[in-house]
Order: sequence, then C-alpha cells, then structure tokens
Amino acid sequence: MKTSPPFWPNQYYKKLGTALTGLCLSFYVNAQTTPLPTPASVEYPGIIESLEKLIQIDNTKFAKKNDLLIKSGKLGNDLTSVTALDIDPDYLNSIILHSDPGYVKLASSNKCQFYSSIINDLLRNSEGKLKNVFVTFVNKNKERDSAILLKKDFINKVASLECPETAKLIDQFQVKNLDTTISSANFDAPTGKDQCHNTYLEWLNNSKTPYFCKLHEFMKEAQTKAGDPKDLVQRQAISAILQKKLNANQRDYLENICENLDHEELFCEEFLNVSFWSKVANGTQNKIYIEDICEKVLNTKSLNDLQLKQCVSKIRKENDLCLYPGGRNQGLVPAPQCDTLATALNFSSLRADYKDCPASNDQQAVTNVSRLLLNISKEKIAPMNGPCSVISSAVAFEFNKRFDNDENWKLEACFDDALADKEVCYKTFFGGYGNIEESYNVVVANILRKTRGADESLKCEMIDSEDYNSLLLQYKSGCFIIYERNRCFTSECKHRILYNDRVIDFIKLKNRVLLDYFATNIIDEKFSQHYLLTHDYRQNGRIMSNMGAINAFFKKNKAAIVHGVGCAEDLLPSFFKTRAFNQCTPMPFIIDGLIRENDKTSFVTRSAVDTLQAPRIISWSLIYSAVKSYQRSHPLRLWTLYGLD
Amino acid sequence: MVWISLLLLSFNLLAKELPKFLTKHSTESIRFITLDGRYAYVQKRQGVLGLVSSFRSVDFISDHSQSDFIIKDSRFKQRLAIEIIPNEQKEFNLLKNHKIVVVDWGKTQTREVGMGRVSKLHLEDEWISFYNPLEKVISLKNILTQRQYQIKLSSKTSPYFFPEVEMISADTVVYTDTNEKGYIALIQYNLVTQKSNVLYKSSQNGTRLELCQDKGYMAIGEFPFDDIARSSKILQIKLTGTTNLAGYSTIYSSTDSDLGNMICLENSIYFIKTLVHLKKINSKQTEAVKLDLKTTLVSTVTDLGTVTQLVAMDGRILVPFRGDYHVLEGAANLTDDKLKSPLPGDEELPLDL
Repeated sequence: MKTSPPFWPNQYYKKLGTALTGLCLSFYVNAQTTPLPTPASVEYPGIIESLEKLIQIDNTKFAKKNDLLIKSGKLGNDLTSVTALDIDPDYLNSIILHSDPGYVKLASSNKCQFYSSIINDLLRNSEGKLKNVFVTFVNKNKERDSAILLKKDFINKVASLECPETAKLIDQFQVKNLDTTISSANFDAPTGKDQCHNTYLEWLNNSKTPYFCKLHEFMKEAQTKAGDPKDLVQRQAISAILQKKLNANQRDYLENICENLDHEELFCEEFLNVSFWSKVANGTQNKIYIEDICEKVLNTKSLNDLQLKQCVSKIRKENDLCLYPGGRNQGLVPAPQCDTLATALNFSSLRADYKDCPASNDQQAVTNVSRLLLNISKEKIAPMNGPCSVISSAVAFEFNKRFDNDENWKLEACFDDALADKEVCYKTFFGGYGNIEESYNVVVANILRKTRGADESLKCEMIDSEDYNSLLLQYKSGCFIIYERNRCFTSECKHRILYNDRVIDFIKLKNRVLLDYFATNIIDEKFSQHYLLTHDYRQNGRIMSNMGAINAFFKKNKAAIVHGVGCAEDLLPSFFKTRAFNQCTPMPFIIDGLIRENDKTSFVTRSAVDTLQAPRIISWSLIYSAVKSYQRSHPLRLWTLYGLD
Repeated sequence: MVWISLLLLSFNLLAKELPKFLTKHSTESIRFITLDGRYAYVQKRQGVLGLVSSFRSVDFISDHSQSDFIIKDSRFKQRLAIEIIPNEQKEFNLLKNHKIVVVDWGKTQTREVGMGRVSKLHLEDEWISFYNPLEKVISLKNILTQRQYQIKLSSKTSPYFFPEVEMISADTVVYTDTNEKGYIALIQYNLVTQKSNVLYKSSQNGTRLELCQDKGYMAIGEFPFDDIARSSKILQIKLTGTTNLAGYSTIYSSTDSDLGNMICLENSIYFIKTLVHLKKINSKQTEAVKLDLKTTLVSTVTDLGTVTQLVAMDGRILVPFRGDYHVLEGAANLTDDKLKSPLPGDEELPLDL
C-alpha cells in the first residue's frame, strides 16, 4: 500500500509545478546548481508513478544534502562576507513538492512573501515543518557554496535584512497587538465578481496574509488536535484566545482565503454563492432561511446547532434539496435550486425574518404591500394567533386604516343586533395580531359580549383544525375559532366558532378584501396602495421604465426596493402557461437586488406567491415583458414598476 | 444515442422576421378573433364582453364586478369557452375560481358550465374540463347532456399546481398529478369504471408535464420549471381509435432546460426551446421552434431572444412579445376594410346602440 505524502499533488500539480519552477528560476537564477539527477533505473509508467518517484528522489536528495552540510559544518555562522545569497534550488524543489499549493502560490508572489511563509510555518519540506533553511552563496573565494541555517538564524540574518518590514509584521501579530491589527484589516465580503477578483489579488499580495494564515492554521491545528500532542493543551489555550479576538465572520473569511489561495473561483464562490449557507451555519444569517428546507431534509421541526450544520452540509452537496421545502410556510414550488437560491439570497436585501405563508393568502396585493411595509418600518412582528398569513393581513389593514382607507377594506363580520333591530358589521381580518381590535378573534369576542352576554375578559382563540381535539377538556369552555389551515386565507376562511362548546353560527362574513394595487381609475387613484405608499406614507416613488434607471437606482442604494405588477405568464413562464389571447394574470412582485455577469443583468425577485425566504433570479427581459404585458391589460395603461426610497 | 445526435444535427435555424398581428380593433381589447377576422370577441370595458362582426356589434356579457375575460377555442371550432374573471384588477388571487360559460362558435348565447380555472374544450367541443384549485378537483362536463364527472387530485399537490387534462374518448381522460416531492405523473382515468392507471411517471422531480392533442396523436412534453437543471423531452402516443395508451415514442429529447409551452398541430408541434442559459444569472435565450412530426427535425422559427409563450387562436399561431403579438402561422394583417358578409345560418346580431 502506497502512502501519499502531505499535500499530495492534486490535479493542479502539473500547472503549479511548472509555474513555480519557472518562478524559482527567475528569482534564483544565480543559484542554479547541478539539476536533480534522475537515476537510470527509474521507470515512468505513468504520471502518478513519476510523481511518487520524484518525491522519493527528493527525500533521498534532501536527506543526503542535510547530512552533508551538517557533517561538513556548513552552518552559516558568518554570512557577512558572502554575496549572491539565495535559497538552495533543491530545497525549493522539496518545498514545492511538499507544501500546500495555495501557500506555494502565496510564497511565489514575491521574495518577502516567500520569507514570511517560511517564518509562519506555512511551507513544508520532506521533513514536514521547516526547521532550517538551505542557502547557497558566493563565498569570499568567489566560489559557489552552500550552508544550512536554523530557521531562527535565517529570519535574523536573511529575512529581516532583505525585507525590513518583517520585524514590524512580527510585532503586529503578537497577541497583545492583535486587536489593532485585526481591526485595521478589511474583512468585507465582496459583492460582485470583479470586486471579488480584486479582493483575491489584494490578499495574495498583502504582506500580512502569511501571518493571518498562520492564525488560521494555528486554530485549525488546535481544533483538529494535529501537531505535537505534548503541547496541545497549551496550543488549544492560545487558540481560544485567538478565537475570541476574531469573530466568526472573520474566522470564516480567513479560512476561505487561506484554504483557497490557489482557487480564486472557490474563494469567490464562498461569497457569491454557497457561502450564504455558511453564514446561516455560523449564525451570521438568520436560520429562518433554512428551517423549512431542513424540516424536510432532516424530518424535524426544530433545529439545534448540530442539526443545522448537518443540514447545511447536505444542502451544499445536494442541490435539489431546496426545491420542495416542508412546513406550513408554503409558496410557489419548486423553489430555486440550492446554489441559485444561495446566490439570490446573497444579493437580496428585503427583510425576511418572519414567515408570511403566501399560499395562505388569497390577496397577493396584501402579501406584497405588507412585505414592503415591514421592510421599511422594521417594526417587530407582534404576537399572532391563527393562520400565518395574518401578519400580512394585519400589517396591510393597519396601513390602510392609518391613512383612512379602511373604508375600502370590505371584509366584515356581521350579526343582527336585536336591540337596535339592525345588522351590525365590523371590519376584520382573519387571525389575531397584537392588540389590533379588528383581529377576527377580537371581533368575535366583541360580538359574543353583545349577543351572548359574554364576560368582558372573554378572549377567542384561533385553533388549527388539525390541532383541535373535541375530547380535550380545555376546549369545553371558552371561545374557539377552529379553522382549516388549507382553506383559511385573507378574504375567506373556512372555520367554525365554538363558545362554551356550542356552535356559534349567527356571525355572517361579508365581502372580500379588494384593493387597487396601482390606480385603476382616476377618481379612486388616492385609494390605491401605491398612492398611499408614495404620497401618504411618503416613500419616494421613482418610475423604472428601463434597465438604465433600475441599475442607477440600485447603484445609488444597494438596499433599494423596487415593486411592481406584471403578468405572471411573462414573469414566470414555466409556471404559468398562456392559454388564450391577451391572457394576463396580474402578479405583484418585489425586486431587491441585482446580479451582473459580464454585460448581462438579472434581478433578485420575489413574486407575491414566492416565500420570503426563497427569492428567484429573473432576467430584466422577463420583468420588462411582464410589466409591458400588464400595461396592455391595465385599464389606465399604466407602467407599473416603481423604485421606493 | 445515434438518434439524438442526428436530431442535434438536424437542428437548424429558419428564423425570419415575424409580422406583427394587426387588426381593426385595438388588439388590447380583443379576447378572440377568428382566422378570417369575421368575428371578434372584444372586451369593451371592464365587465363587458361583446361580439363584433362585419355589420353588427352586441354586448352579451355584462357584470358589475369589473370582470376580465379569456376565451379559448379548440381545433374542432364548434364552441368557445369563456372564463369570466371577477375583480381582475382588485383581487390578485391565483386560486380564484372563474365563472365558466360556453358559446357556440361565433354566437352569443351563453351556457353556464361551472366555477374553476384552466378550462379546456374536448371531443368535438362536446366536453369541457376545468379545475377548482381550492377543492383540488378536476371537473369534466358534457355540454349537451350536462353529465358531469369529478376527479380529485392528491391532497399533497402544491397549492399552485394546475393539472393538464386531455380527453381521449367519452369515457377516457388523461391528466397530470404530482406528489409532495415534485415527481409528476400522467394518469389515465376511466370515467365509467373510475379506475385509473399511471401511464408515465417522471424519473426526475422539478419538472412539469404538458399535454396537447391533434389528429391521431397526443403529445406529452416534459419540461423543467424555471432554472432547474433538467432535461426536456416530448413523447408521442398514437391514437388509433382505441383507449390503449400504453405505448409512446420519444420524438424529441434534449439535455437543455427548455421552456415548452407546446402547441400541437396535425403535422408538427411548436414549443419554446432554450438556446443559451447563463445559469448564474438565470438569463436564457429562448426561441420558438417547430418539431416536424414526420422527420423529427427541429427548426427555429423566431429570432426574438426571449420567447416565453405561444398562443393558438383559430389556427393562427401567435408569439406574445413585449406587449405585441407576432404571427407564426395565419394571416397577420386583418386591417382591410372589406366587410365580410355573415355566414349562412349566422344569428342576426342586434345593433350595438
């Protein structure tokens, strides 16, 4: 059984080896000695075999040279009178063969970066960590000679002299100075491909990178219990100190750059793609984004930290796990695949720390408007009772009420008032939300007080029919509204009312929630939701009629929000098929981010039937077509795409 | 494999600039117009649907709920199905049931059918199917006898799943259904015996099935949703007068995530193919293509960049694109001022006052 040496060359070996050999040649052209001889007896049946042989040859050569230099007493004690001092080429070969390709790439940036990589133990030779360094030089007799230096001596006698910044850098990374050093470093995640490319190059050429990677390697070794077991406890204690000085985000950032120094694509992918799931796993993003997915993946309703990490690990490997999330927060499925979803969420800015169950809402204008309002106001989600679409219903109702438009909220609960001899109606929405008196459970309790002499303290509770058990004693007294989750929406809700175990059937529901999203006639313009948002609520509404306008809008404000209404058949053509001439199903939607690739632009978009946690990436072409087609069917031929800021 | 290679080789580009659809009426108001332009069903304003012919115009549906209308025909040209969509501009609701009525071809006398969505005429337009998304029930109704059957879909289908339905005979229907994992299946159902069997079950989730029918065959298209990386294919079942639907052949297969939205004609099938897909930003170049049923050659017939839908209306094939309709088949210009006389037996339309 053959064993692979540390950092066994991967598929990039050939390319790296070639590049580094070239680089070494250019850096140390004066240091060339006799090339590594290939024994005549060696056969090369294939590339793997040849690499193994190369390593074997290197090991032999390195050991022989080490012995020779020690035995001959060439310890480099006096290098003051030498010239053309360089690293021994065989020593370099050994480093190339045994080191992590990423650190080899870092070391090859420039001479000082190479020295810093040695100082920080990032490079390896056939013996593992570098304990000493082989150098060649021209001695005072004008002959090329070699010597072996202890690493400490190499730092003092060579590195510090040739790279004056070394001492300062070492000082900056002393534990006592780490806070200042870390705070002055830039750990901002890049947001675009070009920016990420520049960030990657900056890290590669940053003189502090070898030192930061030392921190990463130190913590990694302590965590994996690698290295010498004798000082493990001590190293773990130092690692704990380092972990306190670096937050989770910074630690992840360092892991990403240090592990991907030779993989720019992977480095950027972490930021632009799958890294969103990492953010969820390390707590920098809300786990709400993954709860419904993990509920199905792990078949569990609550997630502990371990399960969360297991789920993230699965999601990264199986791209289809995000298509059909579980739970009650249902929307349009399939949702995007995990990689697409992660990309969309990385560029998304809309508030999504609550679940509004779009499939439980039969008025998508309410879903969309409430998403806009909660994003703008940042108000806390109030305690709720009943279908989870109640968040949207309540927020939209309160908004209309605040600006005297509750008149147009037509849904009412009515009863015949025998005393007044007339029908009495109350505005309402299904469910309970905070202290809003129009909550259906509050309205029902009020009606029971007026008609059945119920106590002032009576409260009605909305119960999912699947959770209701008529045999339980708790349901024998009090007021309960038993609703069918799959048939309880904003405008209608299949339910029955029990008051002290008796069915209440005299409360009649009237009308539906009908709202103009954009004005459909001139006279009622001021009642449209867009008008209320932009005039009464004083959001600045800017028309977005072309891609230039929308690009400029997002350039000005990355957290900008664009809302609109378009035909579902154009916006999501694989979900909604046109079956007739001029068919257009109006669909409100929100755009909250843009993604560029070369000269193409797409937008992070949530239609009102998509869950908040699963935005889609939709091209401008589809968005434009959707709005343009809706314009054809709109009574006032309005263009219905506006930026809000 | 050889077959697929041949198919790819045969893929060729015949796209040419397509004419825009022009009519005497504003195209925004038209809900249905015959191939020769003799009859046009026009939405006069919200809630009012009229029939306009060369000499006359009559408003025959009028309501107060600001309804919109969509009208569908079939290749049999016997009747039209009209869906009346209440409060189109005030109630944004994908699960809202529409009132469905039928009229005889070119006539105004309505017959109520029921409440639902995705209505479709079948079998010489004697049958109509529609779907109630709240109850998850497909209804099949004989327009002449009023006989009605219902098929309940799996309760675990997603709320926004709308099944495809084709009737093969008066007692045999095929429809699509899906499970909670997103695997879709094609089911054959006998209305009399109420027995069903699965004709086809997808091996991949995240796809949808489309059905369409023309003389002698039924096509089954399997296409992925949105940007999901899946293959696409079109199967064909030859209809030979029996209800044996067991055998099908693959007439198109591609590793591309095509959009589909098929339209079946006697000798060809139009659908939308994805030519380029930039997955990172989910940007697609999609064009309408024509699949020749005899040669299985696929040819591109549009050059618009982002074709998303195809519409068939009395034999005319249209491509909606950024607010206009382009014509793939049938006359594009219906703006001539020649008045066409009513066909023999046409009802006398009262003057529109």
